[in-house]
Amino acid sequence: MTKLLEWLLGVSLIGVAWGLVTFDLLDLQLPPQYRELAWPMPVYLLVVFGCYSLATVGYRVATFNDCEDAAKELQAQIKEAKEDLKKKGLKM
Amino acid sequence: RPFINTPQATGADQAVGFGLVGFSLLLFTYYTIWVIVLPFVDSDHVIHSYFLPREYSVILPGVAALILLLCVGTFIGVITWKNRKPKKVD
Repeated sequence: MTKLLEWLLGVSLIGVAWGLVTFDLLDLQLPPQYRELAWPMPVYLLVVFGCYSLATVGYRVATFNDCEDAAKELQAQIKEAKEDLKKKGLKM
Repeated sequence: RPFINTPQATGADQAVGFGLVGFSLLLFTYYTIWVIVLPFVDSDHVIHSYFLPREYSVILPGVAALILLLCVGTFIGVITWKNRKPKKVD
């Protein structure tokens, strides 16, 4: 079974379980608090995933070290490229 | 002379980066209390006054997602419009 199929199967199972609880399709008579907890679950998981992504991006931005040498080298290469292209007639 | 990375850049990067981390943590905490904790708290507890009715815990993220999609779509539309080239005339 491919990874895609595995994921789809897993997500479908979870989706069915969520649907059963939210819409009470099996008449399970669950306590009301658990039903209240269940129905926002898909949106909740998405929001949590979004928060995790945002925090990861923020942390990586904060801990990324400056590369002074690489910056200088890049600026020099840009200058060189611009001059070369000007000679060949490209208008900037 | 061309402007190169100054040490200050790290400061701004750190401020923005850790700001994002802090904001995510706040949002996660508030939203988790709203969705997971509140159903198990007595309905006459004072904490409920800090949270909107439960329906909004689904509606607000939905609206936010829509607005995000609109912004992304508009951005793509504007860029595509700016880069349209007139047809060549032979």
